[in-house]
Amino acid sequence: MLKSADRKISVVLIALAIGYLILSYQLPPYEFVPVDSDLMPKALGYLLIALAVGLFFTGKSDADEDKKEESTTSKSETPALLAVTAMVLAYILLLEVLGFVIVTVLFVFFCSWFLGYKKFKVNATVSILFPVILYYIFNYLLQIRLPAGILPF
Amino acid sequence: MNAMQGLLDGFQIAFSLEGIMFVLIGVAAGTLIGMLPGLGPITAIAIMIPMLYGMDPTLAMVLMAGVYYGAVFGGSTASILLNAPGISGTVATAFDGYPMAQQGKAGQALAIAAISSFTGGTVSIVLLMLFAPALASVAVSFGPVEYFALMFMGLAAISSLSEGSTMKALISGVLGLMAVTVGIDAQTGTPRFTFGNANLLEGIDFLVVALGLFAIAEVAFLIKNRNDDSLAKTQNIGSLKLTKKDFKEMRGPLIRHSPLGFIMGVLPGAGATVSSFISYITEKRFAKKPDEFGKGSIKGLVAPETSNNAATSGAFVPLLSLGIPGSGTTAVMLGALLVLGINPGPLLFQDHPDVFWGVVASMYVGNLFLLVLNLPLIPYIAKILKIPRPLLISLVVMFCIIGVYSISFNVFDLYLLLIFGVIGYLFRIYSFPAPPFILAFVLGGMMEQSLRQALTISNGDFIIFLESPIAIGLFAVSILSFAFPFFKNRRVKKAR
Repeated sequence: MLKSADRKISVVLIALAIGYLILSYQLPPYEFVPVDSDLMPKALGYLLIALAVGLFFTGKSDADEDKKEESTTSKSETPALLAVTAMVLAYILLLEVLGFVIVTVLFVFFCSWFLGYKKFKVNATVSILFPVILYYIFNYLLQIRLPAGILPF
Repeated sequence: MNAMQGLLDGFQIAFSLEGIMFVLIGVAAGTLIGMLPGLGPITAIAIMIPMLYGMDPTLAMVLMAGVYYGAVFGGSTASILLNAPGISGTVATAFDGYPMAQQGKAGQALAIAAISSFTGGTVSIVLLMLFAPALASVAVSFGPVEYFALMFMGLAAISSLSEGSTMKALISGVLGLMAVTVGIDAQTGTPRFTFGNANLLEGIDFLVVALGLFAIAEVAFLIKNRNDDSLAKTQNIGSLKLTKKDFKEMRGPLIRHSPLGFIMGVLPGAGATVSSFISYITEKRFAKKPDEFGKGSIKGLVAPETSNNAATSGAFVPLLSLGIPGSGTTAVMLGALLVLGINPGPLLFQDHPDVFWGVVASMYVGNLFLLVLNLPLIPYIAKILKIPRPLLISLVVMFCIIGVYSISFNVFDLYLLLIFGVIGYLFRIYSFPAPPFILAFVLGGMMEQSLRQALTISNGDFIIFLESPIAIGLFAVSILSFAFPFFKNRRVKKAR
């Protein structure tokens, strides 16, 4: 089974390389140079195919290491990972709409709470202080404008 | 400019108020990040980069270097106290450090680690000071052919020396080179692999890749392991005092592994992790009582701790004198320096001698700070290990988002960050090493440029790569480096 994980990856990589090569062959030629912009991509595409084929046939010797990694991958944590990913997506989507301070306060608070941090007061303090202080540092000291959003400052 | 004058100028920078401040911030931040298992120096440096914009390049480099060697210094604390290495360079430290802590000698183990780190680091800086300018003066004559060969060797070495499957490391490197071809081609202006998306015309920012592959992927693993209670248990540290006998036992490995670690650090691809293992193994092999190793041997603790810090300073030799980083962390530093308008490489010594000497001088100061910071304060600093994981996770995500947004002001890059985070996570699950990817990504642009420059000179004839003896030598070393994994595998099998 583990051997097949490596094999699946190698098939995905070969597909990726073929897609990459198709795009490389479609690159428009530029007349005045001896080596054009397609040289490196084409070389890389073929190299990746060669390596992926190599991985397909050598997967066995690495099986021991994979097993160790695999056993630490507990299935029960997948929902938590997906939920945090969804929170990060929401964070990115709303960043320029609501502004850095509001979205970050909400994200830090709810993400920490969701991951099991139940000390309400500490959590609230940290999730308000960090974004506000950082916003101040970036916008006023470093002159790097983070999105203000609906807040006036 | 001669070395003495350069060093004096360097110390002038290091002892300026700003210099001291940045060294202190760097080493303190590095120690803390290094201590936290799961977060490494790459993440710390990548998060800092947006704040470095517009800063004096020397001070920025002083800060980043401080974080790097500070993290290797601090990583040993978690290895000793928790048996959970803070960073990969301190895995070998736990072999004898953790047994010592279990015997109630945690304080002594920490003190030994701090003294070994300091010695290894300081000896290595002296060597760095001597060798880097010499190497640069050789490299001044390098043309595109030699540079291509050099970068090729760097990539080959990091792939063959990284842990796990060489095939996977090579695939990781090739994927990194592919990622860098996205965007407008510098020579012909042809847009490549942009799918008509205007956001991709300028290519993918290296910070997006560095933070995604390392920081976001690290966050994913922190989420998985957030309920791991072992981190909360910090034991009583006990006395830090060492006896005369302890010092006598430390002397041998200190002398042996400082230069060995330095050499391993200079070699592309080796770095702190490989050097600490090699030092541990050689020390054990030549020990009079090898059966003490793994049960709290002082020699077994000194060897890897001296070596990993020596290797860290050694890694600055190829970075500063050739402009070719040998590891993931130095690759991120190179990316940051390029952003700041500094091209590390042989000309650095002519154009910006202050950067090199400022960093070298600051490293002497930084190591001293680390010793002071680590010896008396360690029991207090170790409290950082008690930071609740959920808060840490949310804050790291926040820092990543700020980091990426503040350089591009573009939400598109944040989605890319998430995508690279997923890629980094998959890399770890399927044990593909990420350092070859980031190194390839940072070097890829220069590599393609020098390849095409060389071929333009020869009008498309590849024979030009075989006309330079230096390039032939470098290609030969690249090919030889692939022999190393076979040797390594055989030895592992033999050991079993």
